[in-house]
Amino acid sequence: MTFVAEKLVKTFPGVRALDGATLELAPGSVHALLGENGAGKSTLIKIITGVYQPDGGRIVLPDGREARFGGPHDAQRAGIGVVHQERNLIPAFSVAENIALSAVPKRLGFVDRTAMRDIARRCLAEFDVRLDVDAPVHTLSVAQMQLVEIAKALAVDSNVLLLDEPTASLTAEEADHLFTVVRRLRAANRSVVLVSHKLEEVFAVADTVTVLRDGRSIAEARPLADYTRDQIVDLMVGRTHQVVELTRSDVDVTATPALELSGVDTAAGHRDVSLAVRPGEIVGMYGLVGAGRSELARAILGLDRITAGTVRVHGAPVRIGSVRDAVHDHRIGYVTENRKEEGVFLEQPLTRNIAVTVWRRIARLGMIRRRDEEDLVRTYADRLGMRIAGPAQLAGQLSGGNQQKLSLAKWLAADCDILVIDEPTVGIDVRTRAAFHDLIAGLAGTGVAILLISSDLPEMITMADRILVMSDYRIVGEVANDHRYEPTSQAVIRMIHAATPASA
Amino acid sequence: MTTTDLDEPARSRFSAHTTEFTLAGIAALGYVVLAATTHGSVLSGDTITAILRFLAVPMMVGLSQMAVLAVGQMNLSVGVLTGFTAMASAWLMVQVGLPAWLAVAGGVLIGAGIGLVNGLIVVFTRINGFVVTLATMTIIDGLRFGVHGTGTYQHYSAGLVALGQGAVLGVPDVFILAVLVAVAVAVFFRRAALGRQLLASGGNPFAARLSGVSNDRSLVIAHLISGLLAGVAGVITVALSGSVNATVGDDLLLPSFAAPIIGGVALAGGVVSVVGTCLAALIVRLVDVAQAQYSINPEWVDLIIGAVVLGAVLVTQLRLGRRRRGR
Repeated sequence: MTFVAEKLVKTFPGVRALDGATLELAPGSVHALLGENGAGKSTLIKIITGVYQPDGGRIVLPDGREARFGGPHDAQRAGIGVVHQERNLIPAFSVAENIALSAVPKRLGFVDRTAMRDIARRCLAEFDVRLDVDAPVHTLSVAQMQLVEIAKALAVDSNVLLLDEPTASLTAEEADHLFTVVRRLRAANRSVVLVSHKLEEVFAVADTVTVLRDGRSIAEARPLADYTRDQIVDLMVGRTHQVVELTRSDVDVTATPALELSGVDTAAGHRDVSLAVRPGEIVGMYGLVGAGRSELARAILGLDRITAGTVRVHGAPVRIGSVRDAVHDHRIGYVTENRKEEGVFLEQPLTRNIAVTVWRRIARLGMIRRRDEEDLVRTYADRLGMRIAGPAQLAGQLSGGNQQKLSLAKWLAADCDILVIDEPTVGIDVRTRAAFHDLIAGLAGTGVAILLISSDLPEMITMADRILVMSDYRIVGEVANDHRYEPTSQAVIRMIHAATPASA
Repeated sequence: MTTTDLDEPARSRFSAHTTEFTLAGIAALGYVVLAATTHGSVLSGDTITAILRFLAVPMMVGLSQMAVLAVGQMNLSVGVLTGFTAMASAWLMVQVGLPAWLAVAGGVLIGAGIGLVNGLIVVFTRINGFVVTLATMTIIDGLRFGVHGTGTYQHYSAGLVALGQGAVLGVPDVFILAVLVAVAVAVFFRRAALGRQLLASGGNPFAARLSGVSNDRSLVIAHLISGLLAGVAGVITVALSGSVNATVGDDLLLPSFAAPIIGGVALAGGVVSVVGTCLAALIVRLVDVAQAQYSINPEWVDLIIGAVVLGAVLVTQLRLGRRRRGR
């Protein structure tokens, strides 16, 4: 009678996202699926719901059949409903049509609107939500959209319902309604999987728990009552990480910060963000996916509007209106998270990739000499230890790690003394990763101020002098990093878990 | 970030309807200005009949383009396809000797068939529809001349031409036909399950896939409908003019984009407006009428239409930007 996803393996280029994860769901229970950023929760859910196909392992349905899902619809037909973390609604469609989308009631090929509205009202009523079912979804608030997503999952008559961070944008009251439905589903002998980083709600509604770490399930379908909150945090964080010692010189804490934000609000939704990065200092910014870290970086770089507060560069208040300002006037560089799409021109030679930030400077009478560009490439390839065939090589032909170095070289060439580095080692193998950490530490040693954004806690603890914790577009605390993994990681995780319920 | 902000949503919901009201207003105003400045010549029954008669084809090519925009695609072959189907149905009558109704049906079917091929190429090669239809546009352009070289077909079915010239109480037959087709397209996108699936694919392909909608099928069907409507435009042209040659359709590509874009159809897909597209076609038609009435240099007409298209896109973008920031 149980649903089992056994020893699932899923590899993406450069990353083993799942490495033998098992999820076992008993009917009539609420199961918590927990794990750190990048532990593999979302990948696991996407496999179970047919979005990804596993590279190994098997899925056995409650009726004993082994499942092969060719796509999401197969999973739905097998009785698996899901609320994904990303919004998956059709903006121009009405609430009713979105809720009924996977099984639109039809009469002679035409949509039966009356029946559709009835389905929608029934699903919304299940958790006491009242919405105008004829309103187009794009007119709703984020929280209302979330409610529509949940109603949509309920519309599919499913034995297994997966909720991936369902309360992320709900008020406490709306979340309560949701959990009432969850309990009702449990009473109706369904299995509900709850993915959430809010441990309070997990302990309030879940019966059993599976904890993922590094793509493996390290606690499999255990009764939640056997654990305390601290024990769960310990399991999530693990003790396996060795912190690599990096040679770092001390930061002059009395120096004027190279970059300082005080009371900054942004159009993206940040409130009252204050931080300071001194020359030679690496300040880490940690948070869960969606906490607003990259968005803050974008605002600093002039890609999004800052609506209140002041930004100071080397003590002087500045207004950065564009990346051009940031680079040329304030020498702030942004090594993007998304190097394939934002950081590197894959179809272009290395020369252009590195020189793009300094064309204005190396141009003579408006013309750029190839020799100058090639010199730049040699200088920085050498300095960063990039393995390249020659300056004319295309960026797309480099390995992931070397591409990442390339996106860093560009900013070094621009002579930036403030660098915002976003997720520097995602999708990079362990060895390159260590080399990269050395490199960043070396840059800080030369006096570059570095704001490091990472969802990788071990990386954060290896690299950062201080760790700022961001949650829900606010900075909720700061942890002085003594480079000891256990106490620091637990302090950070606790800060996140303490912060979220209050802000809901 | 927080819960229910009803103010902003209410406004953007309203604005979806205002596009059509605005267009109706502009059309009415334009007509009144035309009437006032031409001493009422556009008020005569004959002129009104003429305006509507030559509105039929722009409406059809606009809707043809709209059908692929619905799924986030473009069809550059709409114009030449209209010309090709016109030549093909004339050929069926003149050379093959088919009765008019069979030739008309044949023209429409050929249009649908070529649209189907466009769609299949897009789906199976995964090449962007813009590129695919750019290529098929060139091929169809060649085919258009292949039918009868630079020659002209005329003296085909007298009945068909009479239909093209005919009117019921001053309303041209071809315009009535175009309105009927437009109503069918509107019903398809608004009510038919298949039409809704097309819009779901255009609005959010990933969400559509999660809900069991086949995006590939949506693409193929959108291109098929686009071809079919171009076929309808082709046979209307045959009925209207009494003679056709291989240059038919040369000037239809811009109008095919102008009508849906001005009409509020989202270029990214997922949102269509049949009423908006038809009203926009009428506005473009009025610009043509104005050109004739004031004897303006015809080149100015393209300039005006181009500027209006650009303006319409700009307005849409500003509106979208505001909505996105509201989140």
